[in-house]
Amino acid sequence: MSVSAARIARRRVGNIVFSGFCIAVTAVALIALAAILWSLLSQGVGGLNLDVFVKSTPAPGSKGGLANAIVGSIIMCALAMAIACVVGVLAGTWLAEYAGKSRYGSVVRFINDVLLSAPSILVGLFVYELLVAPFRGFSGFAGAVALALLAIPVITRTTEDVLSLQPATLREAGVALGAPVSFIIRKVLWRAARSGMLTGGLLAFARISGETAPLLFTALNNQFFSLNLAHPTANLPAVIFQYALSAYDDWRRLAWAGALLIAAAVLGVTVLARTLAKEQRRS
Amino acid sequence: MNTMTATDFETSITPIPAELTKVEVKNLNFFYGKSIALKSISAPIARNQVTALIGPSGCGKSTLLRTLNRMYALYPGQRAEGEILMDGENILSPRMDLARLRSRIGMVFQKPTPFPMSIYDNVAFGVRLYEKLSKADMDARVEDALRRSALWDEVKDKLKESGLGLSGGQQQRLCVARGVAVRPEVLLLDEPTSALDPISSARLEETVSQLKVDHTIVIVTHNLGQAARISDYTGFMYLGELVEFGPTDQVFTRPSTRRTSDYITGRFG
Amino acid sequence: MTAADLASAPTRRTRPRGALVAQVFEGLCFSAATALLVALGGLLVSLFIGGLPAFQKAGFGFFTTATWNPVTEVYGAAGPVVGTVITSVLALALALPVAGGVAFFLTELCPAPLRRPIGTAVELLAGIPSIVYGMWGLFVFAPIFSKYVQMPLMMKAEPGSLLEKLTSGVPNGSGILSASIILAIMILPFMAATLRELLLTVPAAVRESAYGLGATTAEVVLKVTLPYVRAGAIGAVMLGLGRALGETMAVTFIIGNSHGFPASVFDSGSTIASTIANEFTEATSPHHTAALVALGLVLFVITFIVLALARLLLGRAEQRL
Repeated sequence: MSVSAARIARRRVGNIVFSGFCIAVTAVALIALAAILWSLLSQGVGGLNLDVFVKSTPAPGSKGGLANAIVGSIIMCALAMAIACVVGVLAGTWLAEYAGKSRYGSVVRFINDVLLSAPSILVGLFVYELLVAPFRGFSGFAGAVALALLAIPVITRTTEDVLSLQPATLREAGVALGAPVSFIIRKVLWRAARSGMLTGGLLAFARISGETAPLLFTALNNQFFSLNLAHPTANLPAVIFQYALSAYDDWRRLAWAGALLIAAAVLGVTVLARTLAKEQRRS
Repeated sequence: MNTMTATDFETSITPIPAELTKVEVKNLNFFYGKSIALKSISAPIARNQVTALIGPSGCGKSTLLRTLNRMYALYPGQRAEGEILMDGENILSPRMDLARLRSRIGMVFQKPTPFPMSIYDNVAFGVRLYEKLSKADMDARVEDALRRSALWDEVKDKLKESGLGLSGGQQQRLCVARGVAVRPEVLLLDEPTSALDPISSARLEETVSQLKVDHTIVIVTHNLGQAARISDYTGFMYLGELVEFGPTDQVFTRPSTRRTSDYITGRFG
Repeated sequence: MTAADLASAPTRRTRPRGALVAQVFEGLCFSAATALLVALGGLLVSLFIGGLPAFQKAGFGFFTTATWNPVTEVYGAAGPVVGTVITSVLALALALPVAGGVAFFLTELCPAPLRRPIGTAVELLAGIPSIVYGMWGLFVFAPIFSKYVQMPLMMKAEPGSLLEKLTSGVPNGSGILSASIILAIMILPFMAATLRELLLTVPAAVRESAYGLGATTAEVVLKVTLPYVRAGAIGAVMLGLGRALGETMAVTFIIGNSHGFPASVFDSGSTIASTIANEFTEATSPHHTAALVALGLVLFVITFIVLALARLLLGRAEQRL
């Protein structure tokens, strides 16, 4: 079989073009993302000072910080995570240990995936109709519930995945000793899957700490410092949204600082989660 | 020198006197869904002796073992028919309390399966399910179980460390200790040394020989030499049937069926 | 008492605890799983009930009217729906080749020491909150886009030409195209990471056989690995589309927020998510609120269909493994 030189040359050129495209495109993507990080850092750091962590959100023109928003966000995220961990771990356990190949199990899995990728603003609308409109008031609780609804599918997914990875013989060994199923799940399987579930929790936390839309009409926002979750609660994303679109320079500076804080928190948690996952894989 | 005589028997089961029998399998049929995996198995398991089940891959020896503690109940679509009498009680009866059954019949698996907890907690796990012991009593029970699995000397200073940190052979002996701590009457071993190196295997075999003083042991093994070394009775299975059953000596040196003698001499396997 | 003494002592057995506990536990798990179903069902129902007044008032015209006027209380979804679809599709068209290129680069072309850092960088960036992209888009991207792209293009366009039609509008950096670009950058890391993971599932033996036959990298990638993961890749694309459709913050900052049909790619428009985000808390009347919720329902239906398709395709891909 004779191979034409022209054909070989054509293929070689095609390969070069393709490889060139891939490299160029990767470079563009990395540059764009680096530019974003750079802006975030340069603009955000300029606005960072001790006041940001100590003083509450100010009226335009006066000095202030983001303390109330930071605290509000942390509290709501913590509450959301508490709810989400309970519901998510139980649901994921059901899918992995009790559902088997049942139809209902497939339906639940599907619904979970839909919720996982559902637009977060719609979750905000739902919680509004559920917890805000009937009580005629925005509240931090509603915000926490909205965030929980976004975190639950993540935790359910990771719990199911990590439990399914446990070898069948581990389960059988527990059964062979006569232990009831719930005992085996709690004392053996959850313990074995511990770090995987922790990773899932961290990822869920990273996801909800950056969410803005669901908080817009549940927790709303609060100019002042308050720990009362039954009322509108200050939170970082809403503050950033409001301040960034405003016309005031000091507000915009605070917005950048807030954005930097959120991005740093999310990245920090994600890195932590991935480090843990690596540790677990190594052991 | 050929000490074996070919025979015309298809199957041969040597009975055991009733007072020496711990478990009696009677006409056991086992199904995976619609396909039959065990055909009309009948055999006696002698009290406080080691009974080995041998045969080529897929012959059903593990399946038979797993009916003895009804492990198959975990998986829908698997079912057993017939009777398995332990001290006269039918294990297969739907009225049998599975948890209680498994406290009397323990199992060690092919792959070591230490639980993700300390060595002490691993051994105590089963005990804690059934008995409320004081700390002193529990300590003693754990030590006893570990001694009987020939693991005590190696771990007595690190009982609080994770079971996962032990070597493969030690993990397997830990699993034996865990099963033994519950004081089962019967101990089922499913190819317990197949994942172990020769030295660990030898130590485990020693342990098994010593355990039979207090337990009735049924062991599934691929290793004919192992069966010959440690068992008192041997059952040869082929394609779901129990072809020959009897004292190990007899089965290995004077098998009554051609299929058995072919397998033992390595004509197939 | 020595261990040996205890060893010979008779055992006292109690009933293994918790047949009841086991049932309660299973019930709890089942309830949690069912709660997911209830949540989604509740979401759908609440959107439907909340948006019903708007559907009742405008009838089918709700979907076709392009007017959105809180003063005259005429609300038509056409503008936001069109805006949503256009920005998402455009974003996908922009992001997909880039994401694919990055994924191919990482799996075939990247030198080994760089592989891990770049891969990690891409995955980490997938987690950056969308509000950051929105802010960057408004404050950094828009001025640059306006100065170096919009204005030159608009000045180049001959009056009456197609180019002029496509580029009409106020060159302030915002608009449909800008929003699409920011959206594309936002979904890019996620899609690149997903595609890369998908490519990594191709068994080494398959790739090696292809290389062994003398194929070039381009040929192996385009003719062997990509077809191998075809269903999964389409599923990943649809997942990216689903994300783009629902994205709020990355778009709201820079889309311009006008409700009619955008006349050109530089024209401002709106998406369903941006409209809801901007107007919900200041809705002027119950009917306004209902119209916004009705918009939400439309978005839900669109996203649900896309996600269901994605799941179907990804599910088939998983079965293949």
